[in-house]
Amino acid sequence: MTNKDIVISKDLFEPAHVDPSKSEKIAKASLNFWQDSWLRIRKNKGAVISMIILILLIIMAFVGPFLTPYEYDTQNTKHNNLPPRIQGLENVHWLPFDGTLSRRDGTEYNAYETRKVDAYYWFGTDNLGRDLFARVWKGTQVSLFIAFMAALIDMLIGVSYGAVSGYIGGKTDSIMQRIIEVIVGIPNLIIVVLMILVLKPGIVPIIVALTITGWTSMARVVRAQVLKFKAQEFVLASKTLGASNVSIIFKHMIPNMFGIIIINTMFSIPNAIFFEAFLSFIGLGLQEPHASLGTLVESGYKSMIAFPYQMIIPSIMIALIMVCFNLVADGLRDALDPKMRD
Amino acid sequence: MEKILEVKDLNISFHTFSGEVKAIRGISFDLFKGETLAIVGESGSGKSVTTKAIMRLLPEHNSEIKGGEILFDGKDLTKLHDKQMQKIRGHDISMIFQDPMTSLNPTMKIGNQIMEPLIKHQNMSKHAAKERAIELLKLVGIPKPEIRVNQYPHQFSGGMRQRVVIAIALACNPKILIADEPTTALDVTIQAQILELMKDLQKKIDTSIIFITHDLGVVANVADRVAVMYGGKIVEIGTADEIFYNPQHPYTWGLISSMPDMDTDDEELYSIPGTPPDLLDPPKGDAFAPRNPYVMKIDLEQEPPFFKVSDTHYAATWLLHPDAPKVEPPEAVKRRQNQYVGTKGGK
Amino acid sequence: MAEKQKLLEIKNLKQYFNVGKPNEVRAVDNVSFDIYKGEVMGLVGESGCGKSTTGRTIIRLYNATGGEVLYDGVNVHGKKSKRQLKDFNRKMQMIFQDPYASLNPRLKIADVIAEGIDIHGLAKSKQERMERVYELLETVGLNKEHANRYPHEFSGGQRQRIGIARALAVQPEFIIADEPISALDVSIQAQVVNLMKQLQKEKQLTYLFIAHDLSMVKYISDRIGVMYFGKMVELAPADELYKNPLHPYTQSLLSAIPSPDPISERTRKRRNYDPASHHYEDNEPIEFREVTPGHFVLCSEKEYKLYQAQSR
Repeated sequence: MTNKDIVISKDLFEPAHVDPSKSEKIAKASLNFWQDSWLRIRKNKGAVISMIILILLIIMAFVGPFLTPYEYDTQNTKHNNLPPRIQGLENVHWLPFDGTLSRRDGTEYNAYETRKVDAYYWFGTDNLGRDLFARVWKGTQVSLFIAFMAALIDMLIGVSYGAVSGYIGGKTDSIMQRIIEVIVGIPNLIIVVLMILVLKPGIVPIIVALTITGWTSMARVVRAQVLKFKAQEFVLASKTLGASNVSIIFKHMIPNMFGIIIINTMFSIPNAIFFEAFLSFIGLGLQEPHASLGTLVESGYKSMIAFPYQMIIPSIMIALIMVCFNLVADGLRDALDPKMRD
Repeated sequence: MEKILEVKDLNISFHTFSGEVKAIRGISFDLFKGETLAIVGESGSGKSVTTKAIMRLLPEHNSEIKGGEILFDGKDLTKLHDKQMQKIRGHDISMIFQDPMTSLNPTMKIGNQIMEPLIKHQNMSKHAAKERAIELLKLVGIPKPEIRVNQYPHQFSGGMRQRVVIAIALACNPKILIADEPTTALDVTIQAQILELMKDLQKKIDTSIIFITHDLGVVANVADRVAVMYGGKIVEIGTADEIFYNPQHPYTWGLISSMPDMDTDDEELYSIPGTPPDLLDPPKGDAFAPRNPYVMKIDLEQEPPFFKVSDTHYAATWLLHPDAPKVEPPEAVKRRQNQYVGTKGGK
Repeated sequence: MAEKQKLLEIKNLKQYFNVGKPNEVRAVDNVSFDIYKGEVMGLVGESGCGKSTTGRTIIRLYNATGGEVLYDGVNVHGKKSKRQLKDFNRKMQMIFQDPYASLNPRLKIADVIAEGIDIHGLAKSKQERMERVYELLETVGLNKEHANRYPHEFSGGQRQRIGIARALAVQPEFIIADEPISALDVSIQAQVVNLMKQLQKEKQLTYLFIAHDLSMVKYISDRIGVMYFGKMVELAPADELYKNPLHPYTQSLLSAIPSPDPISERTRKRRNYDPASHHYEDNEPIEFREVTPGHFVLCSEKEYKLYQAQSR
């Protein structure tokens, strides 16, 4: 803290002019909420990789079944239970795509050569000779469809129910919350099993069964948010300006909840996939010849020892989807959560 | 006077999504034994960051001490291991936070919270620690300490909780007490009581206090010396009288004259135009230049060094350079200067 | 003030929460005062004394438990047609405390400011709407370029000015400012207070200025009301209140404000307020009485005589 001797020319001490409007200037580029969130999520490598994998999986779910010459539901009993075999990769010994199976004594043999089949089933075939590659992608497609639909319906019901309950408040809120508690109080599985038994297994019944209880968590989250925003000053300001209730909910509350709604939906998708697989596994899912990842695992499980690939491949697919969705949801939470902002 | 803490050329940066925020840009100050040093500044000026750095409480994942030293007891606090730091925290240096509602553990009895540092740092027996806890509660002016010691935080009012927080901070007779806006969350009448208590206790146990606040009224009440911070730097430092009655930096002028006193009436309040600098991209030269009505060309080119006003009073403004033109401070500041000269002359 | 025309009459206003339950809170308890056209009425008190609730009840954010609020002689509370409500909304506006919570983070500044213009259909075309927004931004010392930015890019002081612009958009006559400066830095407080004072002169506004910072309230207000636990304990012209505080609570409040003046701080004596110090009898009527013209104090008959003697 000493007075340093700096030689400075005198003319520097003339008054300078600073534009007063400059002091109000904002230097940073203007970023809206989504641009800002994108910047944040981009830094999360796990989330980005997962997102890419998910996009690829979704594309494959639609394109995959057309990549092979075989239909997912065409049976060819002569070609049943063939192991995976891929052109070009069949000579790479350590990959499981060389068309070999092992006998009970441990020796290996090439199933295609022994049975004189001149074909390439990339993921092998099942016990009815249907191409597993086509079936796996078809199954992924169905599973994702069920999960997305269930999540979407959950979101629509949950958001409106929660918003109405929280915004009106008072007695209405109490009654609506008690209804939720009753629904949550009944064991989930019982409702679902009953629903399926009544409606007969199929895509729509499964979606209905999943949504009938699934929307409650979204409704609770949204209600809590609405209650929070109700006391926020920007909502009060809008009220004093004379804004209608509809515009307060849609202009001021819901846009501020986008983040939380998206995160909640992202976490509910893998749950739906898992639950669908579980239903299929206990025999309440889709019926043959339709495929979902759950039914594939279930039928593969029957011949798990002899033909492990029939179960492993769809299981990997389920695991991959679950992990990716969870990582993306996690990344989104970090990026969108208002508590982490600034 | 004996120096107890020395901060030398401290530089601290935060790494954020938008880039590096240079929160502290080379600050130095000393803390003497038994004094109260007030650090004044606006939000974002770096006053809280400075004290958190002393306590080593900065978040590890995104903050970085870029340079400088914090010397306490011959040790550089910036280089200590966590274990060594834990021994200092709460024992030699302790801290009081702004919000008494959140700085106490709601599930723990008040007594146990006071006893914790005593048992940990001074190896007291449980019994002795409890005696001492009651003694401390009495010291900070809590009635019926024998009963209160077994109660939970929610049974105390805001002002009483802040007293308990002070008792915990003082439990081990720390050499330095850092108070980070300890009265901002309190009502004025409670604030007055807490300030009185702190001054009282300081006399009794002879600690040094670093008092962070944005309220100049509070500063005038408690401080022996004052450091004014702006844009991550100390712009003026001196004794309380020097800062309040003979300020030199145009920012200090602005701060002092923008507060109405009981006599200011219809005249427009003096106000500092513009907004504080963005430390993501600090301006070239003096950070205050864009808001400075006395700005000179050199302010836009070079950062001013500290100019000595008296042995205890330094200010970083080019206005003090011998070549600088004489400028008239705002009315309110002139009034203060005259008043001060008046009282001194009267003696 | 040349003419003293009552703009707002608040009569026995009551705002209780959790009525009838054991945790009933009387946030505002029988408060009456008038606000004259063109004046700044200050309202001070400590946290929880009901000053903010009073402001919010006046502007109908809460439905009053009892009493009435007359604006230009018309009761604001009670059943109202949509048309009447919209009229009130245009005449009465509010500025909020927290500049970070009072602007919707998802709206551009232009849309924040234009909300009132949209609701009340004050602009005929998009262009006119934007012109109004630019004009308002300039009024509060910001400029055109700020219209397309989002609230989080602004500093606290700038946001507070945007909040003022939003309130001004509907051209109100009366503005309730609910602790508009307490969340701001010292150097910014003066900017906002100056702006509010300047706007008041230009647009002949009337303010109810709620705050706990007594020195700022003293500076901006013509008259000041002091609240304590839901009750108005003293109401007087600003100078009178500071020079001759009568109620012991006002005295303790005034003695507690630290002033930026080390010499006077060193010799200052503080007074504590103990509600028991009144020694009221059980059935003694405690009323809001006018001690000297314009100076009201909540007191008993005995105290009233004492205060009158003191003020002579």
